[in-house]
Amino acid sequence: MTEVSSGSAPYIYVSTRMRVRKSKLIPREEYLRMLNMGLPELTRLVEEMEYKREIDELAASFSGVDLIENAVSWNLAKEYQRIIALAPGEMKGFTRDYLHKWDIQNILTILRGKQLGLSEGKIKAVLVPAGALDAAALDRMIAESSVERVVETLPIKAIADILSEGLPAALESRSFGDIENELYKYYYATLIKAARGGMKGGLPFLKYVMFEIDIKNIKNLFRVRAQVSKEADTMALWIEGGAFKPEELERLTTVESLDEVVDSLKKKVKVAVLADALEELREKKPVYAIESTLTSAQLGQMDKMSKRNPFSISPLLVYLERKRYEVANLRALARGKESGLSAEILEKYLVM
Amino acid sequence: MALNVKPTRSELIALKKRIKLSERGYKLLKMKRDGLILEFFKVLAEAKDLKNELAEKYARAQEMIAIAETVEGTIGVKAAAMAASENPEIDLKSKNIMGVVVPKIESKSVKKSLNDRGYGVIGTSAAIDEAAEAFEDLVECIILSAELETTMKRLLDEIEGTKRRVNALEFKVIPEQVEARNFIKMRLDEMEREELTRLKRTKGKSAAKEAAETA
Repeated sequence: MTEVSSGSAPYIYVSTRMRVRKSKLIPREEYLRMLNMGLPELTRLVEEMEYKREIDELAASFSGVDLIENAVSWNLAKEYQRIIALAPGEMKGFTRDYLHKWDIQNILTILRGKQLGLSEGKIKAVLVPAGALDAAALDRMIAESSVERVVETLPIKAIADILSEGLPAALESRSFGDIENELYKYYYATLIKAARGGMKGGLPFLKYVMFEIDIKNIKNLFRVRAQVSKEADTMALWIEGGAFKPEELERLTTVESLDEVVDSLKKKVKVAVLADALEELREKKPVYAIESTLTSAQLGQMDKMSKRNPFSISPLLVYLERKRYEVANLRALARGKESGLSAEILEKYLVM
Repeated sequence: MALNVKPTRSELIALKKRIKLSERGYKLLKMKRDGLILEFFKVLAEAKDLKNELAEKYARAQEMIAIAETVEGTIGVKAAAMAASENPEIDLKSKNIMGVVVPKIESKSVKKSLNDRGYGVIGTSAAIDEAAEAFEDLVECIILSAELETTMKRLLDEIEGTKRRVNALEFKVIPEQVEARNFIKMRLDEMEREELTRLKRTKGKSAAKEAAETA
């Protein structure tokens, strides 16, 4: 999957390019300004940014907020494809592995769409080809006649194997939820394996992946705790490879005291940013606020890692994540304005 | 009003029985109407509360879907919606309120656990959970509301029907029967008086005849 290259020149080249791209992302002050804009003003501003080409391309098929949402998603997909293309050697492998989550999302959307008998157009409208499977590959999958054929013709063998194994049960229960969780677990296991492969830049990447797994597990822990009915078995939801064992997380879902949960989590956490974020969770908060706190901690830690390892995979990962949140923020602003959400509410959902 | 009744004693007895029956029926129907009205007001109070709750839950569901679209985008929300595997089911039974058959709706698989919603937890965010939960609450409330609204409609129909029957008995059937009874009584009294006069006249005539023969 990954190639071996030597020397630090490719890292310096790519890291510098990523830093330049990152500096072009929308700053916090601009978001604060956007919060007070009306929808037409916001649309005009987005059109004047680097999303102009996608807006022009899609203007014939979409309009209004749908146009903004689809344009920023397409821009994200194209940008990720460009980054895969420019990343050299093992960095390309890491990047491709890292962006596999988009493939998982797209494959599952196609399977669900096929199972529900949705038209090709409707399925295509909810895909974001930001991973290894480009738009043409996804189009070929959509054109397949059945769910089974989609799995059989899937170009990513490891994902196809997991799908083949879980498909009969999924078709019987008419739910791809378990397969989806398995695919994401496979995704993180692949990232850890790639990072531990002994290649240059592997260690910071490994640290980051483990950190992301911890963040994901903690977010899901609070989601499960927020559920009214807790009788369901949630063991399958925990991702291995981070600081927490699945049994430990499962136990914490039933612990009443929030302080006890935070203390237990803090015992295992070595990253200061995350420990500080956990401290903020001692008071009862809505799950979205918890997710927002943890996402901010994640991005903060990524920035730190990127500064500590200036010529590694970190600047590239930071840019990928920051770009993803820029797109999410623009989409949130447009959708929020359309739904009439106030600036105060919207601000809570922006990752700045 | 011309009455089409035979002024006979047997008819009077039968009519008296019918009046008694009508009056008993009238009292029972009146009690049923009052009972139904009381029952209706009980359901109405419940339905009013539920309607407010429904409006609140609808507003919350709208807000949560707006937030989910804000956080995940329509693409994310649509992809998660495609994952919904099991449709909610309703079980329709019936119950009896003072002779009125009203529906009893029981819902199944409306409220789902995180695992049963069909989407993967690892790949989604809490905004999707909250939107799903808000809509599950709304659907449950709609089902409960449908049960109460149908109950109210059926009770109202029955109150209306009972009220019509009570009014018919009070203002038409019973007064007509009483009138017929009075008419028969009057006719019987008249016939009795005629008979008495006839007897008296006959007796007078025969007395006069007897006196003439004696003289």
